[in-house]
Amino acid sequence: MTAVQRNNVIEHGRPDARPMLLAHGFGCDQNMWRFVWPEFAEDHRIVLFDHVGAGGSDASAFDRDRYATLQGYADDVLEICRELDLTDVVFVGHSVSAIIGVLAAAAEPERFGRLVLIGPSPRYIDDEDYAGGFTREDIEGLLESMDSNYLGWSHAMAPVIMGNEDRPELGEELTNSFCRADPEIARHFARVTFTSDNRADLPRVRTPSLVLQCAQDAIAPDAVGEYVDRQLPDSRLVRLAATGHCPNLSAPEETVAAIEAFLAA
Amino acid sequence: MTSDGEPFEDTAEDLFEDAPCGYLSTLPDGTIVRVNRTFETWTGLRREELVGTRRFQDLLSPGGRIYHETHYAPLLRMQGSVREIAVEIVRADGTRLSALINSVLHNDPQGHPQCVRTIVFDATDRRRYEDELLRARRQEQETAQQLSRSLLSGSLPTAPGLEVEVVYRPAVSGLEVGGDWYDAFWLDDGDTIGLVVGDVVGRGIAAAATMGQLRSAVRALASTGLGPGHLLDALDAYAARHGVGTMTTLICAELALGSRRLRYACAGHPPPLVLSPGEDPFFAWDGRSTPLDVGPASPGARSEAALALAPGCTVLFYTDGLIERRSESLTEGMDRLLQAAATHRDETAARLAATLVRSLHDPAHVDDVCVLAARVR
Repeated sequence: MTAVQRNNVIEHGRPDARPMLLAHGFGCDQNMWRFVWPEFAEDHRIVLFDHVGAGGSDASAFDRDRYATLQGYADDVLEICRELDLTDVVFVGHSVSAIIGVLAAAAEPERFGRLVLIGPSPRYIDDEDYAGGFTREDIEGLLESMDSNYLGWSHAMAPVIMGNEDRPELGEELTNSFCRADPEIARHFARVTFTSDNRADLPRVRTPSLVLQCAQDAIAPDAVGEYVDRQLPDSRLVRLAATGHCPNLSAPEETVAAIEAFLAA
Repeated sequence: MTSDGEPFEDTAEDLFEDAPCGYLSTLPDGTIVRVNRTFETWTGLRREELVGTRRFQDLLSPGGRIYHETHYAPLLRMQGSVREIAVEIVRADGTRLSALINSVLHNDPQGHPQCVRTIVFDATDRRRYEDELLRARRQEQETAQQLSRSLLSGSLPTAPGLEVEVVYRPAVSGLEVGGDWYDAFWLDDGDTIGLVVGDVVGRGIAAAATMGQLRSAVRALASTGLGPGHLLDALDAYAARHGVGTMTTLICAELALGSRRLRYACAGHPPPLVLSPGEDPFFAWDGRSTPLDVGPASPGARSEAALALAPGCTVLFYTDGLIERRSESLTEGMDRLLQAAATHRDETAARLAATLVRSLHDPAHVDDVCVLAARVR
């Protein structure tokens, strides 16, 4: 199985242009870039993908050991880059995928031209002298939230979520059909994401980086964005007027403009 | 008619304020612009404290807030609506209201998001019931896992010139233990080991219990010196008499270390794979018969075969979890096993078994997998 198949890689734009690789965060899939990538398609080779367990990825590739840390997901990103022979990549990562991009760029700096980190957080749980914004209990609460939301359809919907077309009638019952994910893998991804600590990886990145910080971001608060900006050797911080954690969906124009300005600089 | 004889008219305003559900309108960023009286009553939060000052997500538990930002908000933007999202709203007194919410995103004529309309259902009882279901499910899962672990525990036989290794992996996304089992034990002569891999129909505690019964029965029968074929006959009779294990598939084998002779009998189970040094791997298709207890038991009906193993030869017993994949025929799975075994043949028995499971087992198949590798020098 190739990485392209495993991660459901979809390409748009100009095949001969500079590659832009967009990585979705926890809770969603490549659909979340729908308002962003078209704006860059004219002068970029757009590469979209789903993390294993999300969207149209091949869930059979899931391996608890490989994906026990975010490095496993970063390895997937690097495998995609190798298979498609991508260099000078503009990596755009949302939320946890911003950190996945950090790990990938630290491992193989020669592949990456620019990093765009939307709502990055290198550690979600508070630590001594560090305010990530959450306690361990909060993260357990998230897992409970996920459980109660998957409860209704985890068994019945599993074949649909896993892309099994034997029973297409089940597809019509899927109320929230975007950002589908295998519940067990999503739970695992949640735990890995929200218990990760990648603060020490930030200074290892040499790639010029843009940190996009939303107002009132409950997942990655202002102070965390500032921390990431301070720790990255070559970065700039841009504050968006957009609120929340998903400016790529709630304020695509502003997000696109900030990325364009960064790439033009 | 009302009590004083006037026809009752429910105004839209009253219907909104006192509807049997909470109503909530917010700006696209979650800032509350309107709530109804029912929502105030349920949460103990007055509208002055909410409207224009609080965002809906601010009212949620911390875990729920993450869920809101990572699931609810993106879905709402992409679909224009979300349904039946479970949340916990923190009341004025700190207690939590378990609720189900449906939201619709309303756009202005230019297509820009203008407001979000949400209805909130009190789901307290439903949530309690769901918690009970979850608890019960986890408990059953744990019990079955414990049972299965205790049945499969125990050390594997060791001897100079012999490697026996097992990899047993429960399905990743499966919620209950499956019925795969294995066993490896010395026979009384001190030179022969019994090797068994089987697959019981069903899942959960019942499957684990059946597995335990059959495993004990096989051990007891093997100790009488029956040999694999007759052992299966006797096991058929046992299954029929006690009503356990119908349709179980298994392979029973006896490996004499001195002579490197393998006797085996296969009851509806995938064939053993033989890896001899310098030869292509092959499936041993002899010694086959039906799964356990599927017809009238007739003594002597089970066939049995034997193989003389070359020094360094490895025999693999496994369950169908190793070769079955969604949307693929069994033949394809078996071909894949042959290729993978040929690639990794020079590794130790332990590494071979682990590598095969890692590279071939499809966790999406929601099945256990068990691989037993025995190598003689």
